[in-house]
Amino acid sequence: MTQPSIILSDVNARQSVFHRRTFLLGGGFALGVAALGARLASLQLVENDRYAKLSTSNQFNFRLVPPPRGVITDRNGAILATNRPNFRLLYARQKDQDPEAMISTLAAYLPMDEARRQRILRDIGNAPRSTPVAIMEDITWEQFSAVNIRATELPGVTADMGEVRVYPHGGAFAHVIGYVAKVNKEDITETGPNSEPMMLHPGFRIGRQGLEKSLDLKLRGRPGAQKVEVDARGRQVRLAPGGDIPALAGKEVQLSLDMDLQVRGLESFGEESGAAVLMDCRSGDVLTLISAPSFDANRFVRGLSGTEYRALAEYDHKPLFNKALTATYPPGSTFKALVAIAALEFGVDPKMTISCPGFWNFGNRRWRCDGVHGRTNMHDAISSSCDTYFYTISLKLGPDRIAAVARRFGLGETYDIGIPGQRKGLIPDTEYKKRTFKRDPVWHPGETPSMGIGQGYTLVNALQQCVMTARIANGRKALSPRLIRSIGGVPTPEGSAAPDLGFNPDHLALVREAMASVTTRGTAARTGQIGLGDIRMAGKTGTAQGYNYNGGRGIVGTNGPWHLRDHAWFVGFAPHDTPRYAVAVLVEHGGFGAQAAAPRARDLMRLALLQDPELRGRIERPPASAATVAQGPAVPEAPA
Amino acid sequence: MTFVGLTSRTERGRLIDKLLDIDRVFSLALILIASAGSLMMFSIAGSSWEPWAANHLIRFGVAFALMVALAVINLRVWAAVAYPLYALSLILLIAVEVVGDVRMGAQRWLDLGPLGSFQPSEIMKLGLVLALGRFYHGLSADRARLSWYLLIPLAMIAAPTLLVAHQPDLGTAILLALTGLTVVVLAGLSWRIIFAGAGLAALAAPAFFLFGLHDYQRQRILTFLNPESDPSGSGYHLLQSKIALGSGGLMGKGYGLGSQSQLNFLPEKQTDFIFATLAEEFGFLGCMAVLLLYCAVVFTSLRTASLAHSHFGRLTAAGVTSTFALYVLINGAMVMGMAPVVGVPMPLLSYGGSVMLTVMIGFGLVQAVRIHRYDEVTGSKSSLI
Repeated sequence: MTQPSIILSDVNARQSVFHRRTFLLGGGFALGVAALGARLASLQLVENDRYAKLSTSNQFNFRLVPPPRGVITDRNGAILATNRPNFRLLYARQKDQDPEAMISTLAAYLPMDEARRQRILRDIGNAPRSTPVAIMEDITWEQFSAVNIRATELPGVTADMGEVRVYPHGGAFAHVIGYVAKVNKEDITETGPNSEPMMLHPGFRIGRQGLEKSLDLKLRGRPGAQKVEVDARGRQVRLAPGGDIPALAGKEVQLSLDMDLQVRGLESFGEESGAAVLMDCRSGDVLTLISAPSFDANRFVRGLSGTEYRALAEYDHKPLFNKALTATYPPGSTFKALVAIAALEFGVDPKMTISCPGFWNFGNRRWRCDGVHGRTNMHDAISSSCDTYFYTISLKLGPDRIAAVARRFGLGETYDIGIPGQRKGLIPDTEYKKRTFKRDPVWHPGETPSMGIGQGYTLVNALQQCVMTARIANGRKALSPRLIRSIGGVPTPEGSAAPDLGFNPDHLALVREAMASVTTRGTAARTGQIGLGDIRMAGKTGTAQGYNYNGGRGIVGTNGPWHLRDHAWFVGFAPHDTPRYAVAVLVEHGGFGAQAAAPRARDLMRLALLQDPELRGRIERPPASAATVAQGPAVPEAPA
Repeated sequence: MTFVGLTSRTERGRLIDKLLDIDRVFSLALILIASAGSLMMFSIAGSSWEPWAANHLIRFGVAFALMVALAVINLRVWAAVAYPLYALSLILLIAVEVVGDVRMGAQRWLDLGPLGSFQPSEIMKLGLVLALGRFYHGLSADRARLSWYLLIPLAMIAAPTLLVAHQPDLGTAILLALTGLTVVVLAGLSWRIIFAGAGLAALAAPAFFLFGLHDYQRQRILTFLNPESDPSGSGYHLLQSKIALGSGGLMGKGYGLGSQSQLNFLPEKQTDFIFATLAEEFGFLGCMAVLLLYCAVVFTSLRTASLAHSHFGRLTAAGVTSTFALYVLINGAMVMGMAPVVGVPMPLLSYGGSVMLTVMIGFGLVQAVRIHRYDEVTGSKSSLI
């Protein structure tokens, strides 16, 4: 270390330069601090409002609260679709988290099998980031609280109480009400109601079938919002009091259906496949709309496994299919009532008789009749379902006259009852033949007799059959069916708010009279009696051959494999003199109408009549005189 | 003044007197700043001493003790270790280039096995100041003012600066360069050369920006110039920091109620951005109070520097102080969105042992200068303290 030779003046010079510049350094620092202070003042004092707002919008999020879905009730207020509390676990995936580890931890509290584990992992993988996924639905309160307590061990998992759709009557209303299901990617649209953020909520369900689908927007309601404090990752820290927007429940829908009738009607089908529709033939209200067999709609709400779905879809009785609306069948002999009306309109004398030797020769073919009816007038032809009579009459009328009458009675039509997917069926005429068969556009006379007994091209569904019967029974109005009574307390127009039918009341009375005799001495004499004294059911049986109506070469009745058997029909109304209800029952491949369909129609009708307060008195009071078939307008003025 | 000085001269070596001579205003300011840091850490940990608040206080206590211990060491000893320390730092910096750990994309750390790891650039901050002070101590005013001797200190500054910049640790490199240049200026460099140098630097800056920086460094500067351009990406830190500051207002949101820091919107809330945490919860008044504490530290230190009789003492004390002051200004400017985000903490307020240790060792030197302000560095032999 050398000692530099620095003279005193030099030392002083160094020192004074240092002092000056240190002073400057201090001044520079003071200036810097002043600049920081000025900046702080500008941020914290001048721009405070702006940054306070930004801070608040960082801190708080609005969490969507799905609204309770609208309740669906029957005509008496019995609940058909409602919501119940559902404890579920939601999982929000985060960057540095391993869902598998989370599931392993979770499995310690909630036992789960490997398939379940895989499904949860798949769900988590499919969900967009930051959207919570429901990993467990419908856990018990014990499980719910067990997970809630251990929340810290399960990052990303929140226990949440939501609502789940429930159908208390399982399958009885599955085809009418349909069901709700999880939202698919395809459901989400760019604009419109299906673009709302609520669609992404794990608790949200979209109407997938039936009324749940067609009334979806009305049933949904308006989502509320809950103010929550969130951290930088968007995780909920705590609920923020105040600032919540309550959710608005979906509209309540009341149906015209009768819960009791519907449930017991479905039960009556047992293992059989078919449909049953019962209507009030004064107001048009549909009291039952049954398709059998049915399925448990509740399973669809939680999501069906592939095997479960396949089992339902592949069963040959087709439980997922609405047979009352979307399946069409030839009407068989039930069509004869309409042919008779067409004949009366055309001027055929009902007293005119036609001889039935058990067959009918036309062209180079012999057409078969079910029996040897001898000399038969219109009344007897309907009552005993004589094919020979209707072959002859229909040939005289031609297809267009019959088709015109059939349409006026509601066949070949769909109805605005709120259920999508109805099929029109087919009422053929010469125009149809020309339009459809380019190679053979001419209606051959030989095609008319088939049509006259409800075979051939003619196809109808059970609802149309019931509407037809109701219109015959009503006699005056071209009734429309009504399924939805009110939405959100606002009533929908009644089915009787319809134009007049426009037929001669005498003609209809004559047909009704003939139908009344079907259950006393006709085809359904043994199976169509409701056993309520002088209140009787009028009706018409039908046995529709889906396959080949050709001189008995097709498979008939209850012989042969199930899927080749005849379809059994019964349409009817009661009381026969002052009609109140109309019914149509189809038993798919059920065999003879009188055997398979009539008893079910009878039981359903009996229940409906017994429930009716107006008829109660008449049923309980012993009959004053022998029943007479009413003449003139069949339906008394509807009570106000 | 003379009386105290005489006593001190005649009774040198008396430990108790030396300890009592440590600047009390200065010490109080340090304690208050560190306590404020711990207070904020307690708040953002959700009213918990863990994981930061207690640790911070303990570290500060140890570092303060170390400062006191170093303060009694004679300036001769400091001067004697100046060059060796500088040389050692330089060797370590080169070692880091060769065998250092890469952490968070930069090669800054030297692994010492069981002793843990440390950043040689921290020692260099002290080593450079000591070496420059030692160099100018032996230089006449004329030579310090304007001569070829300037090349030596410039080389002494450039070598560590470039090595650190290459790690890359731009923040520390800038700090080293500015500290070194401050010492050179304080030693009496001609204004003409200062202005010329500043002018040249201004001209070279664009070229440096385009060719001398890593992409991420360039991105940080661009982000700083327009932070709203990408609020969730690289501008996120800046924007969230400004929101934290701005939403604090005059009085702050209240202790423990800073939503920006409590809910993790604020990045590095306990380290580089702790000042924003403070600003959010204590507002403008709290910020100004802390800034005043920093002013107290800086001005008492500068006063210490100007009281020293030895040129070595003056320059080293001022050098250490300027490092500290630069920390405060750079971090403050960064947190307030006035400078790009560089990894410079707010000294003593921010959590982090390495910087606290460096700063407090530096202040040990400053207090040593104060205690030995009447001593000559060179000349007759003396004891260690």
